[in-house]
Amino acid sequence: MKFYICIKMVPDVYAPIQIKEGELIMDTDRMVLNAYDASAIEEALVLKEKHGVEVEVVCIGPAKASETIRKALAMGADKATHILSSGDKEYDSASYAKILSAFFTGKEYDILALGKQSQDTDSGLAGSMVAEHLGLPYTTNAVGLEVEGNKLIVKRQGDTGQEMIELPTPCAVTCSNDMNNPRIPNLKGIMASKRKPIDQVAISSLGIDEAALSADTKVVSYEEKPARQAGKKYEGEPEEIARQVAQLLDTEANAL
Amino acid sequence: MSTILTHIAITDGKVKRSSLEVLSHCKTIGDAAGLSVEAVVIDENAASFVEGIQKYGAAKVHVVEHPVFKNHMNAPLLKALAAVMNQVSPSVFAFASTEGTKDILGALAANQNAAVIADVASFELIDGGVKAKRPVMAAKIMNNTEAKSEKVIVSVRSGSYDLVESPADADVVHVDFNIDDSEIKATLREIISAAGDTIDLNEAEAIVAAGRGVKDDEGKALIAELARTLNAGIGASRALTESGVYDPSLQIGQTGKVVSPQLYIAVGISGAIQHVAGMANSKVIVAINKDPDAPIFEVADYGIVGDLYKILPPFIEEIKKIKG
Repeated sequence: MKFYICIKMVPDVYAPIQIKEGELIMDTDRMVLNAYDASAIEEALVLKEKHGVEVEVVCIGPAKASETIRKALAMGADKATHILSSGDKEYDSASYAKILSAFFTGKEYDILALGKQSQDTDSGLAGSMVAEHLGLPYTTNAVGLEVEGNKLIVKRQGDTGQEMIELPTPCAVTCSNDMNNPRIPNLKGIMASKRKPIDQVAISSLGIDEAALSADTKVVSYEEKPARQAGKKYEGEPEEIARQVAQLLDTEANAL
Repeated sequence: MSTILTHIAITDGKVKRSSLEVLSHCKTIGDAAGLSVEAVVIDENAASFVEGIQKYGAAKVHVVEHPVFKNHMNAPLLKALAAVMNQVSPSVFAFASTEGTKDILGALAANQNAAVIADVASFELIDGGVKAKRPVMAAKIMNNTEAKSEKVIVSVRSGSYDLVESPADADVVHVDFNIDDSEIKATLREIISAAGDTIDLNEAEAIVAAGRGVKDDEGKALIAELARTLNAGIGASRALTESGVYDPSLQIGQTGKVVSPQLYIAVGISGAIQHVAGMANSKVIVAINKDPDAPIFEVADYGIVGDLYKILPPFIEEIKKIKG
């Protein structure tokens, strides 16, 4: 059984950022493996250890994304494909989905796994778009995966509780980061990753015109969030401040 | 006349308030732009919700009723939504950003060749499409995104808009729907429900949220009592859902639920950025934490510095007194 994990290099959202004249400026150019994708890799690696599934990763990104790919290989993925983008422009979810769908068309696979969203943009669209383009049964927001014969069993977080969903293969699934704590690559994994193959693929070779992508949605500007002012802090005798704040919630905030 | 369509989500036999918030907003902007404001409801008992939806001003309510919609499954929901879109050809189709919506939004956009903006804090109509504000970078900043297309799909975070009643006699349009078992390739084996009658966090007027400071059954009991006193929903930080102290469905934050109640009481929560991303839009925030430097105090209207085990009993008692 073969897993393909679609991974993405994203900016470190915890690094300091600024906005100047509507432009987003990152103070560092530190890029990381999207945390949700890391969880998808981890879950596949656990299934690899249990059932011997194959784990391949595919990443759309500029040349620098090879660092992100190496990390996935160092965690334990078997091989990788790097779909090289120029890095000149931001793709929207639909563009990522189109490129991935073109890549997977005609490929052999059982399960496509993706992070449920990217930690920088939080859109959460690409996974189900890819499934729709490829005509695959799918589910999203997985918090647990298991393989039974040629079926994928997904525990997903839904609106009313956790749903246990059985999917025939081939299928697609998007993963939450709530299902595991992704392993940190050890030295052996890092050394081994250097010998693992990374295929490079040009977007144009997939029959896609890079210039025509991201036509429908565009980020036009960034702005600060309306700041929430810190209110008053109450310190002192617990009994006293607890009662005081309860009173204020009633009389001042009108929140009771 | 072009149409602005709102999806009305049904969960556990009830209309999601967040869907009506979106409909209220669509009514406002749709009327201003001279669009036909319509709604669609898809459920095993869809027709029974029409009356409730009419109060919010839809001129037409499209009803898709079929037993397959008893529980959320993406294949039948997608088929129904695509059928309604084909029939109505809305220029804008708006959803409340529920887990059910997130499950199908991308697929629907791909199916309909529509532009899509997910999980927005607000949106407006512009020439040829929609402009929206979205929180990004762990909700530290907002971006303005434009979608220009004949069809634009948008999903809206709960609590983004107020409910506005404007009763209308809506035309009810029954949409024929059939689905063959072979079209539903996935099987829903079971639903493991959270703790039964708990209050839905997306709908709750008040939320009491527990964090790492809540260490034991005594702490949980205090949280439960405070929630009961306020008729509040109970939420938790990732630390407590991951360690199994609270059910995963109660997690509030960037990866869990994004909530915006009238009153949010964070108990023993330090206020990691991922948590704050899920609750910073609450109207009034109270934080109880023994660390005076905890980041949660930066977003709290009322910060109580102290041990929650000593603070909560008199706090609960006082609220009981006030509520009589």
